[in-house]
Parts: sequence; structure tokens; C-alpha cells
Amino acid sequence: MLRNTLLAVYGARWTVLPPLVGISMLAMLIGAVVVAPREVVEGEVQRLFYIHAPSAIAMYLAGGVVFFASLAVLWTRDLRFDALARAAATVGALFTAIVLATGAIWGRPIWGVYWAWDARLTGTLILFLIYSGYLLARSLADETDEQAARYAAVLAIIGALDFPIIHMSVDWWRTLHPQPIVARGALPTPMLLVFFVGLVAISLLAVWLIALRAEAEGLATRVSGLRAAADRREGE
Amino acid sequence: MSASLAVIEKDLRLLWRHRSGWLSAATFAAITVLTYSFAFDLVTDDVRPLLPGVLWVTFLFAGTIACSRTFTDEVEQGTFDALLLAPVPRTALYVGKVIANLVALLAIEVAVLVMGTILFNTTLVTAELLVIVGVGTVGYVCLTTLLATLGSRVRSREVLLPVLALPLLVPLLIAGVRATGVALDVSAPSAPWLLLLAVFAIWSAVGSALLFPLVVER
Repeated sequence: MLRNTLLAVYGARWTVLPPLVGISMLAMLIGAVVVAPREVVEGEVQRLFYIHAPSAIAMYLAGGVVFFASLAVLWTRDLRFDALARAAATVGALFTAIVLATGAIWGRPIWGVYWAWDARLTGTLILFLIYSGYLLARSLADETDEQAARYAAVLAIIGALDFPIIHMSVDWWRTLHPQPIVARGALPTPMLLVFFVGLVAISLLAVWLIALRAEAEGLATRVSGLRAAADRREGE
Repeated sequence: MSASLAVIEKDLRLLWRHRSGWLSAATFAAITVLTYSFAFDLVTDDVRPLLPGVLWVTFLFAGTIACSRTFTDEVEQGTFDALLLAPVPRTALYVGKVIANLVALLAIEVAVLVMGTILFNTTLVTAELLVIVGVGTVGYVCLTTLLATLGSRVRSREVLLPVLALPLLVPLLIAGVRATGVALDVSAPSAPWLLLLAVFAIWSAVGSALLFPLVVER
């Protein structure tokens, strides 16, 4: 029963996801620009928060997908999981870049600098470098190269396991320096509502993008497999 | 067991016969230290605040250079495939390479420390520093050797290995620099840095040894 429901949802993903993403993104934009009240201290630039914070969650979500898909690559040797991992890594890198960019734009008027060597910022930057390294390493070999897929999976797993240690180390590292102080009480209800709309919108967008990428990667793998088979037939 | 020992002995012998490989890494390390002394004008009165960073960046750069060729010769000669067919545990192949790289890098690092002692008029060859450097080296050699398996496959490996390894080695770099700073009395002991180095060394050794067989499997 559950299995059938899940399969039905999965089968309808291309009809369901695009309008859902469109509507929720629109709601997020209207919410952030119109509905949410102007923040008293930070002013208009605070509205970036409604994209920034959900993107940060999406960036970790994509990392989780990369990690579990990589485990599945090593476990099952199924290259479809490799396609999923690559797709999630691309989307993860995208959202990490969005987080860094919106953070820098927000930081300039609020902190007075685009970039501060705060623990969280540094950790995010390193996460971006790990995503990039993974994509670079994987892009050097063919999609159908099973050994390269396993190497990339190992790289992703190491990156995922290393990330908590990286976070801890930059946390300790920063204790020597003054921390940028962000005055933050509890969010008032309208802001919280807009934040949740943004969270839903960005998560759906991430899921849709990952699904699209994985589908495209899977198709590309099939094409190159078929091409290789056709070449062999011609050679015979 | 004896087969594993034979693999390790083979790697140590290769290390001795292919001296040019790690000697060039050693030369690179020496030149890096010299470059730093020109760039930062390390002839000032108190160079010690800069020394931990200079030493660790040198170690990491020399390390990625020395490790990047770990599997190249084996793959070019075709011996790696033969080793994979041999009735040896895959982990032993990894351990052999790690031990060879460790020996080479520890030798390079001791040489750099001696050189630093002479050039910067600061005692760098102390038991405390040797422990810090040794533990840190175990950490980065284990991880970099695992990542170097890619080296056998890709042409642009010399660039790729540092790009992949250095972000993952950030905790090790921070902890190594801080612990060295504490040992040289230039920074306050703000956190248990040596413990972090040890944790990193253990997790990279265990994780890499477990993952290596999965990478090289054909």
C-alpha cells in the first residue's frame, strides 16, 4: 500500500513538482518582499534572510543526499546512485554559493564587511570547496566508469565524515577572535511564517533540481552505454 | 601475515630505490621555507609567531607532492594489477604505501626542523614538537595516500590532489599550527589541539584503511 503510494508519487513527479515549486517560490518572494514586516534594526536587507536560511538548510540536505547515495554506490555498485550523488552535489554547490553570496550582501551593511572569518562562514566556504573538489574529481572520468564512481563515493563519504571535525576545529579556532555579534531574539510570527514558506519553497526547488539533474545524468549514462554498444556492433 | 610484511618490505625497498621522488619533495620543502623567509622577511627580531604556519604549510605542500606519486610507478609498470591479483589483503597494500610515505615525510620534516633551527635561531627539534609533527603527519599521510589512488587514473593529478586534500585537511592544519604555537610559547593553549590532531590521525587512518579496498577493487 505504502509502496504503491510512493511509486505513484514518484511517477507523477514531473507533473507535480514544477507547479508546486513555482507556486511556493512565488509565495516565498511575495512573503519576503511584501508580507514580512520591515526589520527595525537591520532594515530591508534583512529580507535576504528568507532565502539565505532555507538555502543553508537545502545545502545540508543536498549533502545528506550525496552521502547516502555514495554509501549506496559502494553498497550496490549501481551507477544510478552515482548519478543521484552527482546531481545532489551540483545542487548542493549551487545552494552553498547562494548562501555565501546572500550572506556577503547582508554582511556588508550589517557587519560592515562582506566577509568575516567567523566559524560558520569558514565552515560553509570549506563545504563549498569540498563540493567543488568532488564534482571536479568526478568530472574527470566518464559517467560509465564504475571505478571513478567508487572513488568519488569514497571522497564524498570522507568529506561528509570530515565535515563535523572541520566545523569543530574552525569553532575552536575562532574562539581566539572577537565574534560578530548578531542580536537575535525570537522571530515574530509573520517573519516565522514567511521563513517556513521559504523553507518549503527552497526544499521543493532543491528536490526538483536534484531529480532533474539525476534524470539527465541517468539518460546521459544510458546514451553513452548505447553508443558504446552501437560501436561494438559496427566493429563486428 | 608474512605476505603483508612482504608487501611492506617491498614498499620500503621501492622508497629506497626511488630516492629521486621524495628527495625532490625534500628539496621542494627546503625551497618553500626559503621562499617564506624572503616573502615574510623572517629575519626580524621575533620570527616565532610566524613559524608554526610556515612549518605546517611546508609540511602539507611537501606531503601532497610526495604522496601524489604513490601509485604512479606501480600503475605504469602494471605491478598494481598483479598485486591486486595476489593473495594479499588489500589493506596491506594500503598500509605498505602509508608506511613508505610516512618514513619519507618524517625524514623530510625532521630535516626541515633542523634547517629551521639553524636559520631562525629557534630550537625546533624538541620532543614535544616531534610528537606534534609525528601525530599530524600520520593524519595527513593516511588521508592523502588514499586520495592519491586517483593519481593512477587521471593526468592532471598533480593539481587535483591538493585541491581535493587541502580542504579536508583544514582541521589538521589548524590544530597543527595551534599546537606548534603552544609548544613554541607564541600562543595560549586555547583548546586541546594535540587531542584534535590525534583524533584526526585515528579517524583518517581507520577510515582510509576501510575505504581503500573499495576504491581499488576492479
